[in-house]
Amino acid sequence: MRVFRGIILLVCASACAASPPQTTGVQRRPAAAVAAMIDAAQPGETIRIPPGVYEGNLVIRKPVTIEGGGAAVFDGLGRGTVVEITVPGVTIRGCTVRASGDDVTGESAAIRVLTGPVIIESNRVEDALFGIDLREAPDSVIRDNFVRCKPLDPERRGDGVRLWWSHGCLIEGNTVHESRDMVFWYSENLTIRHNTVSSSRYGLHFMYSHDTILSHNTLSGNSVGIYLMYSNRIALVDNCMLNNRGASGYGLGLKDCDDIAIRGNAILANRVGVYVDNSPSSVGSTGVFESNMIAFNEIGLLATPNTHSNVFVANAFVENEEPATTHGRGQLTNNTFARDGVGNYWSDYAGLDLDSDGIGDSAFEPRSLFGSMLAGEPNLRLFVHTPAQRAIEFTARALPELRPVPMLIDPAPLAEPPTIASEIAETPRSPAPMAALAAGLLLSAAGTALAIGRERRALPIPEGTSA
Amino acid sequence: MITATNITKKFGRITAVSSVSFELADGASLALWGSNGAGKTTLIRCILGVCRFQGRASIGGIDVRRRGRHARALVGYVPQELAFHDDARLASAMAFFAGLRRATPATAARSLAAVGLTGHERKRVRDLSGGMKQRLALAIALLSDPPLIVLDEPTSNLDAAGRGEVVHTLRALKQAGKTLIFASHRPDEVISLADRVLVLERGRVERDTTPAELWPTEKPVQVIRLHLAMAREEDAAEALRRAGHAVHLNGDGLCVAVARDRKAEPISALALHRIEVRDIEVLDDVRFPEVQP
Amino acid sequence: MTALTATPITVHAAPARSFFGGVAAFARREFRDAIASRWFLLYTIAFTVLAVGVSFLSLSGVGSHGFAGFGRTAAGLLNLIMLVVPLMALTAGAGAIAGERERGTLIYLLAQPVSRTQVILGKYAGLATALVCSLCIGFGVSAGVLAWRTGGVGIAAYAMLVAFTALLALAMLSVGVLISVVSRRSAVATGIALFVWLALVFVSDLGLMASSILFRLRVQEIFGLAILNPMQSFKMAVIVNMNASLDVLGPVGAYASFTLGRALPWILAATVAAWAVLPLALATILFARRNSP
Repeated sequence: MRVFRGIILLVCASACAASPPQTTGVQRRPAAAVAAMIDAAQPGETIRIPPGVYEGNLVIRKPVTIEGGGAAVFDGLGRGTVVEITVPGVTIRGCTVRASGDDVTGESAAIRVLTGPVIIESNRVEDALFGIDLREAPDSVIRDNFVRCKPLDPERRGDGVRLWWSHGCLIEGNTVHESRDMVFWYSENLTIRHNTVSSSRYGLHFMYSHDTILSHNTLSGNSVGIYLMYSNRIALVDNCMLNNRGASGYGLGLKDCDDIAIRGNAILANRVGVYVDNSPSSVGSTGVFESNMIAFNEIGLLATPNTHSNVFVANAFVENEEPATTHGRGQLTNNTFARDGVGNYWSDYAGLDLDSDGIGDSAFEPRSLFGSMLAGEPNLRLFVHTPAQRAIEFTARALPELRPVPMLIDPAPLAEPPTIASEIAETPRSPAPMAALAAGLLLSAAGTALAIGRERRALPIPEGTSA
Repeated sequence: MITATNITKKFGRITAVSSVSFELADGASLALWGSNGAGKTTLIRCILGVCRFQGRASIGGIDVRRRGRHARALVGYVPQELAFHDDARLASAMAFFAGLRRATPATAARSLAAVGLTGHERKRVRDLSGGMKQRLALAIALLSDPPLIVLDEPTSNLDAAGRGEVVHTLRALKQAGKTLIFASHRPDEVISLADRVLVLERGRVERDTTPAELWPTEKPVQVIRLHLAMAREEDAAEALRRAGHAVHLNGDGLCVAVARDRKAEPISALALHRIEVRDIEVLDDVRFPEVQP
Repeated sequence: MTALTATPITVHAAPARSFFGGVAAFARREFRDAIASRWFLLYTIAFTVLAVGVSFLSLSGVGSHGFAGFGRTAAGLLNLIMLVVPLMALTAGAGAIAGERERGTLIYLLAQPVSRTQVILGKYAGLATALVCSLCIGFGVSAGVLAWRTGGVGIAAYAMLVAFTALLALAMLSVGVLISVVSRRSAVATGIALFVWLALVFVSDLGLMASSILFRLRVQEIFGLAILNPMQSFKMAVIVNMNASLDVLGPVGAYASFTLGRALPWILAATVAAWAVLPLALATILFARRNSP
């Protein structure tokens, strides 16, 4: 979906246009000038940096507030880490930080924090290997920053935002574009909300990070929207995962995670909506998927065959090419698809609701012959979207003895899609005129050709011949 | 204009045309004569280079097989019946062929006018009568003013009046110096249009001859002898002369020269003068003596 | 009729039109005939209604969310295109030559100063233009629906879909024309066209599925065999254009994306283009070598 990437680029471009870094005709000074200002300040003091470009590397060793006012630019000139914070209590606000080194082993970053708490707020990070890198900086706040990494191949980029052993942080309202991950290592009790990650590898990536709430984040055009690994007791609420179709192509991926609650998310148009890999992994733990919209994905729910103990309730599975399937052979029947007589909405459900209680009169038991063939012969996936595939499904419907065992059983499928809490990222409206333009162009091309074709060259009647 | 050497055309095991050779000078006209299936149409198609054949044929020195497109630019072709998209309107058909033959729309209009089809431009081809279709075919054939006209039984689907028109037009073309090749079933057409006749039989040229040799007895004028009921030969001769016939009195009845297809005319002319004819005799092989009335 | 004699007769006729001039003349006529014909109207209406229906349906059922992926619409359109467009193009092509031959109009056209290559290429170009027109109308109206109902369509992705569909139509038209050249009658040509459609749409895919299971074909073998079918190449080209990789097509797609990388869309487009060029070239050769019209 290059389209959406394009849209996002457009949005970002307009964001850039709104606050362009002032580079022309401004003073260029060494970063040491700022270091001198910090040296001169009292701890806790707010330093307003005059507009200008400050070149070189800066280390902040005093708890001060650096106020850039949107016009101060820290330029690392492509060498090392641009701004490094070594004491708690520092705030950086309204600065542009750019051009870190690209040394992967040194992990050059735009802003590196070696202790906490700090506040990183309303900054622009550009051309950085790593964007904002917190190492053992608990209780910090990262808010309203824009991060864009170096234009490297995706596998050579650094992380846009990285937390390492930093508990209790608030990550809010940040926009990360073209980075590797927004990644959280060994960090607990985080609050992550209203962030946007696009055109990156993993939008939000959890490694061994527990007890966290992620809400209202938008992940689009990444390889994976949210990937939770070895992390427990995480709640995903009202997020939107859109068009994640890269190498892995999951909207949401879960690997060995216990007691996850997924609620009110919109998971749309990904290659795989939800990928469940051995989650929950511990005995007695569960995963709960409730009131999510899982729509327009190639595969709505994909799980490894040993997956069990997940509960799906009041979700809407709408128009997925395959609603739910396993990776290889096996079924999803060790998971529960209804609770207290309430199942999920499946757009593929063909049953009726004659008693009008909102629950379909028969269970939803998807038995796709082609789907079951895919389980044994993954190579056959080449033939999706073909009339031949439709022919196979049609045959299976006509000949019941060919029908495979059901992939799952939802005993109480919903007759109408439930209301989903997530406010889905506002659908970009700008392409509508584009579609209208496409319509206009195509129709006028056809019209012109037809008009030329229909025009009959009349033969002029020579004078005197009619007499 | 045309050189054909050993033209042979086989359809599977059937030989439709078998080593036909002839040459035709500029301005000459050649009739192809033979029964149905004798190979007239196939020979015409070979000459036009429309189908593959063995042997050689060239038009105006251009080989029809190698450069058929350029050879056919020298030819106007009139089929037995014009076969063109029935839905097409006359004007658009004309415009299409004018485009193919590099004729201007004005030329196309003149061609239509020349065959008397002006005013029918909005008609569809399917609504044209047989005669109009043939006239349209002629108009198309003459679009680029080609030196050679090839016609495949152009009159076989027409009534007498239509035939007359076509023959009249072709005669005018011949006089204007065009070279003609045509297949025909009608001796009168051959006699009035052709200098030469190729008699085809089962694909072979049986005779390469002239109409006069082919039909030595076929003369346009025949002599008939009238025997009258009473001896009023003098009155009858006077009446017939006034009606425009050549009359000869030789003592045994009244000899009248008439057109071959108008033998009853003297009888009706005499009936107007209440002169009764008792008997008539058609005198074959009798040459009319040169007498001035 | 008398005007003919007044026409000055020149010795040399206008030379044949240039090669492309003749092709263009035929293309123009074929295009006009096509757009005035019933099949064009029928196919255009059918395709437009279905395309609009698919676009509309794929956008409904989203409830209050107001979001719909163009990918979903495209997937629906893909199925429709793969069923309808080859049918349109194959049958249109199948009628091209066989129909004229059956009505007897072909011989008359060939007797004009044109070559068989010009006739067949002109007809192909005319029909191709008509088909692309028909597709443009269908896609245009459905883009209008998308514009009205939602915002989820990018002009670039949509344009590529239209372009690949047009290429598929050209390929299938080319196969149809080949069928037309080898068939004696237009009903036979249509029959063969339907059979080929069935074979390409269903039989070859089902056969490849069966053989990949029975003979344990490796992914590269499956991929190699699959792209021989222009329908599969088309489908993969559309998907790779929208997704930047073929991962959605499982191991075979992933293999293709991995080994061929950036060359993949070009290879796929080239395969479909080969289907447009090669059958037409073969049809041209066979038509030129045909024994009879």
